[in-house]
Amino acid sequence: MADITVTINGNQITGHAGITILELAKENSIDIPTLCYCPDLPPMGACRLCVVEVAGSKALVGSCHTPISQGMVIQTHSPKVMATRKIIIELLLASHSGFCTVCDKSNICELRKLAMDMDIGLSRFQSKKRYFPIEDISPYITRDLSKCVLCRRCLQICNEVAKKRVFGIGYRGFNSKVIVDLDQPIDKEVCRDCGLCITSCPTGALSNPAQIGEEKKGTPLVIRG
Amino acid sequence: MRNGFGISMNKSEETISISNNNGENLLVLLEEEQRKSGYLSQEFITALAQSLDTPVSEIYGVISFYSFLSNKLQGRNIIRICKNLPCFLKNSELIIKCITQELGIKPGQTTPDGRFTLVLTNCIGACDKAPAMMINNDIYGDLTPQKITKILESYK
Repeated sequence: MADITVTINGNQITGHAGITILELAKENSIDIPTLCYCPDLPPMGACRLCVVEVAGSKALVGSCHTPISQGMVIQTHSPKVMATRKIIIELLLASHSGFCTVCDKSNICELRKLAMDMDIGLSRFQSKKRYFPIEDISPYITRDLSKCVLCRRCLQICNEVAKKRVFGIGYRGFNSKVIVDLDQPIDKEVCRDCGLCITSCPTGALSNPAQIGEEKKGTPLVIRG
Repeated sequence: MRNGFGISMNKSEETISISNNNGENLLVLLEEEQRKSGYLSQEFITALAQSLDTPVSEIYGVISFYSFLSNKLQGRNIIRICKNLPCFLKNSELIIKCITQELGIKPGQTTPDGRFTLVLTNCIGACDKAPAMMINNDIYGDLTPQKITKILESYK
């Protein structure tokens, strides 16, 4: 395939035709934060964190689903991009009702890590929180949808990799949530020996059933801001 | 998929031939069942999921997304009040309050005699006549509390 040369942050970079801006950036160790991106799976562009500035484009574009084209001039960390990403994280945190101090996944939480990277402490925005009961019937998986940020990674992994198609998206707008069957608490036999969605979940929404005496994973994160 | 909805709105009686049962016809299938039985039962959803080879969650997702589809048994007449901005600005809250008082039910509920079901819906395309509501397939606009009683009386 023909190679394409683009300019990222002022440097000329060459990549294969057909790859996305995000993939090219990753190849060249340019760090673009993502929440919904799953390598090798079709992009969803749900979280909007990977937005970049492309010269000539009115709006910021999602780098995970935009293929590179000849002569593109891309800014991955311009002030406009950084401000947008910061607002996205703040908005996600505003309706995210997880209490990090008592969350088992708080030290390996991608949302929290991103907040730390961007020096976001308390969100500026006050919004209604999304509260759902914890679903812990299944012996294979525990779901706490209050912590879900609707990145849809669990859907992607379950549909495309595990091929079990357990999850779906139900309702609309603020009430949107990841549902199982007829919006029932998750308790599926197909989840046995799988757990792919648990490792893919960026927050503590999906986790292994809690075990007594288990230690919190990861080293403590310190959030300034 | 959007066509599936246009059909019911026009009250068109033409039957849709569903030759290949694939996911593309999902909305049409749901719409037909909704018109036939008045609601979408759990059994129907499960059977449909099996015949289309789609997960139940996906079908339920579609049903919960559209306020014109329901998985609960509904009354003989369905009152749909618009809850979107133009109607809200024209004081649709008052109309909702008025109807809930008149019928003694909250949005999402059905009267005990099965005469009315009250639902809040997204835009019904009658913003020029805001605040607007729809009872079955009839649109009522420029609503005032005075008009409500009269309109409701015409539905048995």
